Amino acid sequence: MSWIKEGELNLIERISANILKTGPMPKHVAFIMDGNRRFARKKNLERQEGHMQGFNKLAETLRWCKHLNIPEVTVYAFSIENFKRTKEEVDGLMELAKQKFERLLEEREALEKHGVCVRVLGDLNMLPLDLQQIIAKAVVTTRNHNKCFLNVCFAYTSRYEITNAVREMAWGVEQGLIKASDVSEALLSECLYSNNSPNPDLLIRTSGEVRLSDFLLWQTSHSCLVFQSVLWPEYSFWNLCEAIIQYQLNHKSIQKARELHREEQALEQLEADRACIAELTQHQGNGKPADAQKRQEALQRYIASREARVQDFLQALKHKRNSFFSDLCSETALT
Amino acid sequence: MVLLYGLLWRFLLFLVHVKRAAVAWMRVRLRSWRVRLWERTIAALFLPVSVSEFPNYQKKTTLNQNANRLSGNRTGTNPSRPLADGKALEKLPVHVGLMVAEEELSYTDIASLVVWCMAIGVSYVSVYDNNGVFQKNSSHLQEEILRQQQKLVGADESKHSVELLNTDQDQHFVVSCRPMLKVLSPEDGKHSIVQAARKLCHSVENKERSSKDISVSMLDDLLRESKNIPDPELVVKFGPVNSTLGFLPWHIRLTEFISLPSHRNVSYEDLLGVLQRYSSCQQRLGQ
Repeated sequence: MSWIKEGELNLIERISANILKTGPMPKHVAFIMDGNRRFARKKNLERQEGHMQGFNKLAETLRWCKHLNIPEVTVYAFSIENFKRTKEEVDGLMELAKQKFERLLEEREALEKHGVCVRVLGDLNMLPLDLQQIIAKAVVTTRNHNKCFLNVCFAYTSRYEITNAVREMAWGVEQGLIKASDVSEALLSECLYSNNSPNPDLLIRTSGEVRLSDFLLWQTSHSCLVFQSVLWPEYSFWNLCEAIIQYQLNHKSIQKARELHREEQALEQLEADRACIAELTQHQGNGKPADAQKRQEALQRYIASREARVQDFLQALKHKRNSFFSDLCSETALT
Repeated sequence: MVLLYGLLWRFLLFLVHVKRAAVAWMRVRLRSWRVRLWERTIAALFLPVSVSEFPNYQKKTTLNQNANRLSGNRTGTNPSRPLADGKALEKLPVHVGLMVAEEELSYTDIASLVVWCMAIGVSYVSVYDNNGVFQKNSSHLQEEILRQQQKLVGADESKHSVELLNTDQDQHFVVSCRPMLKVLSPEDGKHSIVQAARKLCHSVENKERSSKDISVSMLDDLLRESKNIPDPELVVKFGPVNSTLGFLPWHIRLTEFISLPSHRNVSYEDLLGVLQRYSSCQQRLGQ
């Protein structure tokens, strides 16, 4: 089964989609595709078959999202915790992933036509090398597409992602690119695997579980959460519509909370900058109190230099990440 | 055409609102109806029927009987009842978060919820609202809790006293070390993760450790502030907004979210229902 499903919506679906689209639409939807194994058990299928059907449902959901003008989708494909499953199942999932990413490479023309950019979020080092290389190839091939975005979280947990972001910032400090005092909420967000995406507006979890299971904890703090009881392979267009209506109902209050949070964040940053200035002037030791004008100038200068530092660091980080993928690709070329 | 679609959308949203209101109204109706039903069943229990054949049934009735008594008249009830309810549950969370996503806050209702949680046997309760109002007025909340304690579970203070943990100023209201209350605001969420990150980066700056040493457990230890409070297993969310609104992003990895429509005039039965739902959930932890 392929990644790209062609085909239009039927008449009723199209009308419903048009109705929904007159309201505020989510720009980024995240899915926890739960219930593949329960589905297999229910239908007396092999476990692997359940995972297969789950993947097919993903392709179908991407098609719906495209028709609903949702440009970005993030899915939780494999958690670091999933390595704890039986070897047989983990191997099966790795094999499935390998097949699917190979398939993705075969379909590069269709991906280019639809402008689909595929990103993989997670620590690839935990995966078998051949899978790493295929994933890297897929990521590099679709890197410049910019109409729709699919983020696949693989070997991912949110705590690991946050820790990794802290590690990257510490790396920046070691390299002398930034100072420890430059660490802020905005910078941490930029160091996450998801730094190229806006935060999800809507998070959908299927199969009736009501927890996040270490998925996008940082990014979904102001997202609409919808828990649906349907198993993932049975997910339908109408389930998606229902979730979007939930989002539309919550839109105003969540937007307000986001605004509030943004204001607080800006205030925090200003305070941090002020504290740094205060410390600097203390170190310089000229005891005479500067007048307001001078202080304001010093603050502006400090902010400008901090921003320049942070930009340099983010450039370096981006380069480091890009070359990780390119290196993996060139390794395959050699072998 | 677009106009028509827009109108239809508005109509659809209106329908969903109506449905929501109807469900909320039904809940209230159902509750009062159930009270009457239980009265009848209790009356039936006095008939010489061999109840011992239906042990589960009996347990359930007594459970709800207690609930009704507690919710029906909020004054002097037997303080051991909630504890019995707690023991009847298969699984009880150690740490419960109460998250209010509503504009108007009611200190009395939140205080009753805290007292009920603790009386049932929950060791840690966190209270959160995304404007940080509860945290700003934590002493008011504390007073209200003491008042509700007297009212709801009687004067058995030694058993159910509350300790308010306050990280900013070291003002502890220590009466006993048993149940603990923490009042949270968005400050305790991402902000505290950033603080921890800055701390780690400072230590890297001073060459105390290398960036490669930083691990999930290291960050976790820092965020726990060495108090060893477990992550909340359950967050009860009050209000119509389906979002965590910044509630402790690091700590809610495995937290179950269960919603109630409002915290105003919430009853003991509502809370017990949520706890029963929680105790029937099972987690596979990635397996």
